[in-house]
Amino acid sequence: MNRFCLVCQNVDCKSRGSEELMKELQDRVAAKGLDDVEVRSYMCFGACQEGPNMVVYPDKCWYAGVKSEDVDDIVAHLAGGPHVDRLDKIDPSLKELIYQLLDTGVF
Amino acid sequence: MEGILFPRGVVEGLEGLDAYRSRGGYDAVSRLGEFSPQDIIATVEASGLRGRGGAGFPTGRKLALTLECPETPHYVVMNGGEDEPGSHKDRVLMENLPHLLLDGIILAAYAVQAEKAYLYINHNYEAATGAVETALREAREAGYWGEDIAGSGFSLELVMVAAPSNYVAGEDTAALEVIEGKEPLPRQKPPFPVTEGLFGKPSLVNNVETLANIAPIVARGAEWFRSFGTAESPGTMIFSLGDEMERPGVYELPLGTPLRHLLEECGGGLKGGKPIKAILPGGPSSGFLLPDNLDLPLDHDALREAGSSIGCGVVKVLTEGDSVLDELMRIADFFAKESCGQCPACRMETNMLVALLKKVQQGEGNDALTEQFGKVIAFNKGKGFCSLINMPGPPIESAVRLFPEEFRGA
Ligand SMILES: Cc1cc2nc3c(=O)[nH]c(=O)nc-3n(C[C@H](O)[C@H](O)[C@H](O)COP(=O)(O)O)c2cc1C
Ligand code: FES
Repeated sequence: MNRFCLVCQNVDCKSRGSEELMKELQDRVAAKGLDDVEVRSYMCFGACQEGPNMVVYPDKCWYAGVKSEDVDDIVAHLAGGPHVDRLDKIDPSLKELIYQLLDTGVF
Repeated sequence: MEGILFPRGVVEGLEGLDAYRSRGGYDAVSRLGEFSPQDIIATVEASGLRGRGGAGFPTGRKLALTLECPETPHYVVMNGGEDEPGSHKDRVLMENLPHLLLDGIILAAYAVQAEKAYLYINHNYEAATGAVETALREAREAGYWGEDIAGSGFSLELVMVAAPSNYVAGEDTAALEVIEGKEPLPRQKPPFPVTEGLFGKPSLVNNVETLANIAPIVARGAEWFRSFGTAESPGTMIFSLGDEMERPGVYELPLGTPLRHLLEECGGGLKGGKPIKAILPGGPSSGFLLPDNLDLPLDHDALREAGSSIGCGVVKVLTEGDSVLDELMRIADFFAKESCGQCPACRMETNMLVALLKKVQQGEGNDALTEQFGKVIAFNKGKGFCSLINMPGPPIESAVRLFPEEFRGA
């Protein structure tokens, strides 16, 4: 089954560098040959003050305030490594809302 | 039928200065020294007039709150930003009854002791702008505004300001920003304009139609005003009917008039006598009503109890065969486009609702998806600087309740 690495590309996350972040993740995922992972944009996760935000789905793993120095660990997770716990700081009720939306197929 | 704003309840063309004076216009202004600001406020409070800009806030209270602020100067803003789909009432008032409006603005400005009033008018409204401009000149020459009005010692300057034609520019604090020469972005509240408004000073911001009611109330008294409408929603309101009706247009009716009267007697029913499927009685941010609700009185409380709202009186009617979903998509798209983008939650919500509706339109609807509407709306409720964030909720949630079949997949 396909996995998605959804990177918010709305105003706030973009202003914190989410465009470069998505590009970097795409390049690294391709270089590693992770064919089952698709890195793509998302319209907004509603945690705009804490961006850049990204969600790995269906893992339901949310990384906030991601910087380029975090990319190594995130790619390692996408390749089957451990969750990057230090980037997991979002309020559970918002997570629940967004995960349910993703479950219903709103990409 | 007698009206408060339009003498016969219908639009009869541009009323010039002489015609307006011959029905008692500017009478109070020409004897301004005989009234105190408190006299005018007491009359407006007793009339029970509620704001016609959508929220229904008691106008007398707003006047009193502004007058009370010790900080000076005070300002008045006439909000003619009007950019809600289907709403033309403010344009029609400005085009036809500019003196009635100026009369009310001058009285309101005196009541709050403002030194300047700004007439903020949608810049696409050429005829309205022209009519107000002419009326301003005539009223100035007659001595109704300027230095020392009618020997009262009260001086007032009136200025017109063009309003950008986007929806949020009509929000009161966004209007203040525009008048200050900035972008139309709503401010965080509190502070409210009555205490810290234009240039940080106490400001009375009222809708065009609200201000148009002031002169008749002062001239003929609160009791006369209350002979129209209901106890909680006194007076009349201007309702707008769209092109789906036999007789589209604006109609001034006493509040509390049954919805059926507006749609059947005034509007002549849907074109071609088609049956009604659903009604949005108060613009795109009101909840849907069903044909069973036709006998509901058009007033603030009755519509709220029925899960809807009176808004600014823009009534939209859907017929059998019209898709509620398509209408919701237009509404959601409108709010997503008009969200100013300042508040993350509003951006997220309005975009998300469009994305959810698209899914349903593509035939991928199911119960789990339908549930997400209410969750997204509840999560974001009140999390914006202005109330745009709360606007898509009522039409969507009422449609989920009343037309669940439209949300199911193919
Ligand atoms: C997004 C948005 C748009 C609005 N547009 C208008 C408008 O075009 N005209 C208007 O009078 N009020 C508009 N309002 C309401 C104003 O903020 C304000 O409540 C109103 O001008 C107060 O006048 P009233 O007390 O006479 O009703 C808008 C509010 C919001 C949230
Ligand atoms: S802008 Fe990225 S979460 Fe909202």
